[in-house]
Amino acid sequence: MGFLTALGVDPRNVVFSSDTSEEQGRQFGKGRGTVDCCYPVKCISGHYGELVFGQKQKLDILLSPMIYNLPSFLSGHVAKSLTCPRVMAAPENIKAGFIKEQDAFAEAGIQYVTPFVSLDEPLLVPKQLFETMREALPGLTYEETGRAVEAGFRALRDFSHRLRKKSREVLEWCARENRACLMVIARPYHMDPGIGHEIEVDLQAYGYPILWMQYFPIDDDLMQWAFGEDIRAGHIKSAFDIRDVWPSSYSSNTNEILWGAKVAARIPWIACVVRMSSYECGMDQPTYTPVQQIVERSGTLFFSFQDLDSTKPSGSVKIRVETITHYLEKYAGTIIAKKKAAMPAGCPFLPAA
Amino acid sequence: MATIATDHYRAYTPRPFTRAERDSVTILFGGLHWRIERIIQAVLESSGYKAQILPVATKQDLLTGRETADIGQCCPTSFTTGNLVNFLKKESKQVGVEEVNEKYVYLTAGSCGACRFGQYHASYELALRNSGLERFRMFLMAQDNLDQNMGDGLDLNLPMTLGCLWGIFCTDLVQDLEYQVRPYEVLPGQTEAVVKESVEYLYTVFRNRPKMSPKKSVLWHLTTPYFVRAMREVHKKFSEIEVDRLRVKPKVKITGEFYLQTVEGDPNYNIHRWLEAEGAEVYPAAITIWMDYLLRLGLQRFEDYSGIEKHARLKLGLGRVAQGIYRLTVSRLRRAMGDLPHESPSQFELRRLAAPYFHRNLDGGEGDMLVGKTLWAYHKKKAHMICELSPYSCMPNTMSIGAMAGVIGKYPEILYAPLEIKGDAEVHALSRCQMILTEAKKRAQREFDEALTRTGLSVDEVRAYIQMHPAMRKATYAIPHDGTAAGTAANLVLHVAKKLGR
Repeated sequence: MGFLTALGVDPRNVVFSSDTSEEQGRQFGKGRGTVDCCYPVKCISGHYGELVFGQKQKLDILLSPMIYNLPSFLSGHVAKSLTCPRVMAAPENIKAGFIKEQDAFAEAGIQYVTPFVSLDEPLLVPKQLFETMREALPGLTYEETGRAVEAGFRALRDFSHRLRKKSREVLEWCARENRACLMVIARPYHMDPGIGHEIEVDLQAYGYPILWMQYFPIDDDLMQWAFGEDIRAGHIKSAFDIRDVWPSSYSSNTNEILWGAKVAARIPWIACVVRMSSYECGMDQPTYTPVQQIVERSGTLFFSFQDLDSTKPSGSVKIRVETITHYLEKYAGTIIAKKKAAMPAGCPFLPAA
Repeated sequence: MATIATDHYRAYTPRPFTRAERDSVTILFGGLHWRIERIIQAVLESSGYKAQILPVATKQDLLTGRETADIGQCCPTSFTTGNLVNFLKKESKQVGVEEVNEKYVYLTAGSCGACRFGQYHASYELALRNSGLERFRMFLMAQDNLDQNMGDGLDLNLPMTLGCLWGIFCTDLVQDLEYQVRPYEVLPGQTEAVVKESVEYLYTVFRNRPKMSPKKSVLWHLTTPYFVRAMREVHKKFSEIEVDRLRVKPKVKITGEFYLQTVEGDPNYNIHRWLEAEGAEVYPAAITIWMDYLLRLGLQRFEDYSGIEKHARLKLGLGRVAQGIYRLTVSRLRRAMGDLPHESPSQFELRRLAAPYFHRNLDGGEGDMLVGKTLWAYHKKKAHMICELSPYSCMPNTMSIGAMAGVIGKYPEILYAPLEIKGDAEVHALSRCQMILTEAKKRAQREFDEALTRTGLSVDEVRAYIQMHPAMRKATYAIPHDGTAAGTAANLVLHVAKKLGR
């Protein structure tokens, strides 16, 4: 929105597709799939269909960027910050389902705009967006695009900063009250209620604060405290270096997942990690064991919801949630105490001794 | 509940492979086809290493891979991890685990980006650990500065890299000609024997490459007639084979994910040989083309940064020159083979053809090249059918295949067989392929009949002409392909007609 509004697009004229749901897929995406793959990509057919066929007012442009890499807080400390090959190529793949018989976009009078964007390469983004969007937005200039890109990145930074600040407040509260919280380690699309099935919401209902790994506070004092010993021992070069656990650090979200596991292992009040992963996720597959090992070796509880698909397995989720909360109730205090005993001195969440 | 360990988890770090161990340690490698593996062995041996090729992966390896690594792997990961584990276990039974840990190191490529190919190490590591081989040394040849703690035992220097590269060029050409010839050989088994002899000959050629400094090595490889002479010799060996090219066969182009299109064995249901047995002429996928694609993909970064980053245009220009030299080198060796092996398609043409369906920068796997190759083969009548080998759960490949739905929507006449290869669902995949192959056979026959009708020739007349011209019965006789027909037999008819002035 930061980018679009800076371009002069009225926010009232921007329509987002709804949260993912099975109903959406059935109603708008049926028969549009071209290949069997993970649900987070497969469900995009439903989103496209809803925007093309399910609007009261006709849309002019369907904007679905192909995102090559992501602006990660780990950038510069890892090899690359690429997106998953499926997520990256999804707009081309899903498009095929809408043009294979007739061009559904053209028939609906919609311009299908899919800029290829390297969001981790800010210098390149204005060029990439300008080249694709100038056809859809006549009169658009390169300078205008550049300014809008800056506004977009600013909005993204502000949003992340706000959430990280909130996460720090949660951790400070946990430290003050000596209470346990949970960290969710998952990909960003698991925040969509139709993909992550709101498992963390069910857990939160039991009174445990939830932190998402993506928005963990990364303030210098906290990072130095959590990773200082590893840096001094030469295991890593900085707090955001993950070479000690994951040498092939190419994928942005995979890198963040591994880092999230590391940080969860080091923070005493994170008594439990909940891992989510979608069916047939090739990016998550090689990380199952390392992530579990990183977390469990620190004594932190680890629970994983794998193979999430379109249907919410409500019964099993309920049983798992009850199991998790039972374990937390029984062991959280001991886990926090043990992790505190093992933590380095000078925790920024605690008053100076 | 787990208790707190004294140390945090750390990734597997192999003991370094040291220079002093070169004489006692054998480097294991594999995962390609036997021709190039044999030449890489020659290159490694000529550089002073002991090298051993892993056996071709089998279904048993697939099961072992699935058992010992995390659930949900793509099938190339299962095959390759299982293959390594089973080999090591077998060796361990004979000489003991400790001896295996000391005697062997495993070398593999493993860093191309975000797909699992870049993360194979995690599967290998887990599989080794679950098999009691956690002390075994495995090294990934990284394309960047990742510290793999390899030690100084293996020096990936320029002469060795160039040796491998030239080895790929030469064996690609041999493989291509082999597949063009075998379906038409008059004496069954002759092609096989000639290919084996040729590869062994090339083994000696690469084993005996003169030793020189890295700088000299570049110049030497680019200018020497050493390899051209060797390929002429291979050409001569092929000329001994008598062929009957009037057998009407559909031409099937293999595309797909790199590992599956390259290996020949259980990992791809032995599809090359199966297609031949079913009466097809296989057009194999050259490693050379894949590397040309990687060059193009890399250079696109400079295209994108032109006007943004200083010297991007210069780097692009230099890169294009390097790519030109690469293609010229392949052409030079191909010429030594009488220009018989298929030419490499222009990467720019593939990109242009794929553009409406798949963005050129979409990374991982073979990207837009899969779409481009299919359209290229269709428009230029290079094959009757495309057989695309897609590993179960392969992330980038499923995306290209999905995009192909748009291509098939526009060109429904393309005979396109995307086969999902799981490793253990052979009947399903092959029967699917057979359905499309049946159509391809009909198309090849129709094309042949049309060529006869158009030229007014009969099969007997063409055969009689060939009998009168013994050179045309040689495997090395070049039949022109002008883009009017895909099949070898149809092209032969058109060629004879031209010779006869019809």
